[in-house]
Amino acid sequence: MRIRTLTLIAALSTALPAIAMADALEDAVEARQGYYQVVKHNAGMLFGMAKGDVAYDAATASAHAQNLSALSKLDTGSMWPQGSDKASLPGKTRALPVIWETFPAIMDKQADFVKASETLAANAGNGFDALRADIGALGASCKGCHDTYRAKDF
Amino acid sequence: MTDEPETVRRKVWDVPTRLFHWALVGTVLTGLYLGEFRSFSTIQLHFYFGYATGGLLVFRLLWGLFGPAHARLGKLFPSPGALVSYLGSLFERRASGVAGHNPVGALSVLAMLTALSVQVVTGLCSEDDGLFSEGPLVEYLDSSTVLTMTAIHHWSSRVVMGLILLHLAAILFYRLWKREDLATAMMTGWKTVRRDEDDRQA
Repeated sequence: MRIRTLTLIAALSTALPAIAMADALEDAVEARQGYYQVVKHNAGMLFGMAKGDVAYDAATASAHAQNLSALSKLDTGSMWPQGSDKASLPGKTRALPVIWETFPAIMDKQADFVKASETLAANAGNGFDALRADIGALGASCKGCHDTYRAKDF
Repeated sequence: MTDEPETVRRKVWDVPTRLFHWALVGTVLTGLYLGEFRSFSTIQLHFYFGYATGGLLVFRLLWGLFGPAHARLGKLFPSPGALVSYLGSLFERRASGVAGHNPVGALSVLAMLTALSVQVVTGLCSEDDGLFSEGPLVEYLDSSTVLTMTAIHHWSSRVVMGLILLHLAAILFYRLWKREDLATAMMTGWKTVRRDEDDRQA
């Protein structure tokens, strides 16, 4: 009985840190996926208005653009721990290992996102044409990252 | 040169088949370009060229069922015997003189039409991480299916690019090595074919 308990404790004490670490990685993945859901929500509203799917409204456009601008400046560094890529966590994330292999190259793309959303935050409330003029750069900044750093599926 | 087979000029590609071919060149190259460099303002054009490609493929299917002999779909499935025999003479330095699709060319056409069909169907079911637009069937599919379709759409575009390069390489190979002009035949419809080949088709 005692030996079995000790074995169990020994096994758990070896396994638990590994489990805890895997949990921490998955937590980080969930956190950044949540972050991008919020980005997608705000950008989606702007894309919808620019396409004409949703009626343009200056105050709404401006609010979403300012949300994006604030989001783009959020320091998400802790959401990207080593080992939280698609190869390490298959089925959980589409983040490609190249993000970490080429770091900090991805930060240039981040800077594009900051710049595009800052422009939109300043102009999106100035009418439909102003929104349309600047929305392309936002889409391009998203695509710039997704093409290189995000797999097409899990 | 008594061992040279006698040749005749024959009309092998009918007008609809040729129009189909060159229209397809236009829609596929433009579609690939617009897909590769898609943006907020041009994604809708990518869709239109995809629909046009789909329309051309449907036409080709019908033309393959009801059109003239060389356009028939059955010609795209060579018998293993014909394939092996043709492969044996492929690298001989003389024109094949085949009237329609030769057995290897038939397989290449089959591969191209299949890859383009995959491309069109998966395109209808693809999205772009919510960035620019989504295919018209996306709203009827669950998200994991859409991701898979999008991934296939992406990779099969590479297959299409590879097949186009192979197609061009084959035309150069026939032109330079076998001294057989396939491109002009697809423009004018007329091709120099072996008389025995011609008799067999008649």
